[in-house]
Amino acid sequence: MRILIIEDEKKVAGAIRRGLESEQYEIRVAATGEDGFFLVNNETFDLVILDLMLPKRDGIEILAALRKRGLQTPVLILTAKDTVEDRVVGLDAGADDYLVKPFAFPELVARIRALLRRGRTDQVLRLRVANLEMDLVTRRVTRAGRNVELTSKEYEMLEYLMRHQDQTVSREMLAREIWQATARATPLDNVIDVTIARLRRKIDDSFDAKLLRTVRGVGFVLGEVGP
Amino acid sequence: MSVRTRQTLWHSTILAVLVLGFSASVYLIVRARLYGRIEDQLTADLSFVEKAYPHGAYEIAELDEHGAVGFFRVTGDCAYVSHGWKRAGLDRAVTGNLSRWTSSAGDGREFRLTRVRTGRAEFIVAQDTTHARGTLANLLLVLALGLPLAFAGAAAGGYFLAGRLLGPVGALATQARRITGESLAERLPVENSGDEFGRLAGAFNDTLARLQDSFERLRRFTADASHELRTPLTALRSVGEVALQDSLDAAAYRDVIGSMLEEVDRLTRLVDCLLTLTRGDSGRVPVTRQRVDLGTLASSVADCLRVLAEEREQSLELETPTGIVSDTDPGLVRQAVTNVLDNAIKYTPPEGRIRIAARPRDPGEAVIEIVDSGPGIPAQHRDRVFERFYRIDDGRARETGGVGLGLAIARWAVGLCRGRLELDS
Repeated sequence: MRILIIEDEKKVAGAIRRGLESEQYEIRVAATGEDGFFLVNNETFDLVILDLMLPKRDGIEILAALRKRGLQTPVLILTAKDTVEDRVVGLDAGADDYLVKPFAFPELVARIRALLRRGRTDQVLRLRVANLEMDLVTRRVTRAGRNVELTSKEYEMLEYLMRHQDQTVSREMLAREIWQATARATPLDNVIDVTIARLRRKIDDSFDAKLLRTVRGVGFVLGEVGP
Repeated sequence: MSVRTRQTLWHSTILAVLVLGFSASVYLIVRARLYGRIEDQLTADLSFVEKAYPHGAYEIAELDEHGAVGFFRVTGDCAYVSHGWKRAGLDRAVTGNLSRWTSSAGDGREFRLTRVRTGRAEFIVAQDTTHARGTLANLLLVLALGLPLAFAGAAAGGYFLAGRLLGPVGALATQARRITGESLAERLPVENSGDEFGRLAGAFNDTLARLQDSFERLRRFTADASHELRTPLTALRSVGEVALQDSLDAAAYRDVIGSMLEEVDRLTRLVDCLLTLTRGDSGRVPVTRQRVDLGTLASSVADCLRVLAEEREQSLELETPTGIVSDTDPGLVRQAVTNVLDNAIKYTPPEGRIRIAARPRDPGEAVIEIVDSGPGIPAQHRDRVFERFYRIDDGRARETGGVGLGLAIARWAVGLCRGRLELDS
């Protein structure tokens, strides 16, 4: 999978590149809009990450020009502008998704996966992480065959974590996916922490192998600890 | 043109117009009266002469001798010319064929004459108009001289009065100009709080007080904001610097980076809150009103935060019937209710009680009520708990992890929906 990053801020571009390379993506970086435009026209990419505030040529302009040429590649916009109008402008210009700076890296990875997966729908009826199992039809959760009683929020959260197993999930992702909250200026982080703690009590407390771990400063990850 | 000059001009012009109108009326009335009397006298004289005529020349001469009629001439069977007529040379004035006319006599005086013909006889009587004319000329002179005098007097008086009236305004302006951002505590002197200038100065002082207040708030806000922003920055920096000094193992580095990311999170949250508020200040937050069921909204917020109350073993009671509807922005109201309820959960001691209720109030008003069994807010803090970064107890708030903007955002959000956030403690 080849991804092009068009971002003028060297530090940000470098961090994204290293982060995505460790996720096994092949990365090209363009520091200006012109370079990016040139690269997109001459090489093939599976995804473009585009910063909106670029020197000389604005990201929106580049995006509009690319779409006008019939480019189908999914484009993920990065920007520090987060008002609704800004989002609308970006999506109107042909962006497929939109991420506001500063963003959590796990979130970027999740969005990239979602964009690359788009179009492919695979019907999953059961989720499994180690001996933790979730039946999506009966909404029954078991660990090592023992029934686990969950509230609906805990269930939703666990489902999301299981669907993203072995990936770090940030609080923002949970807030948006489970609580449909867009503003980060809410006391929701505490609610998320409490819900995680309860979930952990229910699925992990009586087992030696802990599945739900906290990644300090980033979020949570559900998965088996490697050897 | 200064207000004083304009005031004076208006004043004098209005007075001049009034005086002119008055003078014209006086002149016209006096003139009508004077000439009216002459006309009446002529009619009377003519009837005397006509009545005397049938009685013969003697009777007519008698009129002249007794001075009953001064100027007259009779032609016909018993012609007679009065002495006055002869002396004045009035024959010269008899011209044309009019029954009433005005003309000059031989001696230069002006007369008003009337004549009537009966058979072969013709009677003409006359009245001297010189006196009336003179009176009118005098009157005109007096009025013509008086008018400019009145105008000048009015202008001078008006100028003086306007100066006296406007003097305090100038003084106020001078004093007000001296007050700057640095000396906002100064106030304008109020000499008589009851009169207009006192009220003006009072209004100025009120504005100054509000200005001083908002300056003060801004100063405090800037100080608080820089403190709140610098604290995580300092932590970030020192944690990073210290970690670089020693060589640590991977786990320790992870811990350091994790701690730095926590601070970044805190900074991000703080900046988000500040941006939310600033956008509200600049009026750029779109408010989308719709019918919102307050009971449903309140209970969904309570359900969302219930886990926090449960952790603190507080009981969260709901009294949220459906059907209490308000026309407002659900997102903003939700945010406000969330922040207030979160605040209640934070500051109510463990095992305390929190009640959230929705109910209708006075006509056209609905209210969401959040009551807690916490310690309450001391009176001296009540006005200020909604201010940005305001904290009753600095230490307590920091350990609960808030940035000190929750209630400020709640009030801001409610204000945007044209609602009110009330505090009772």
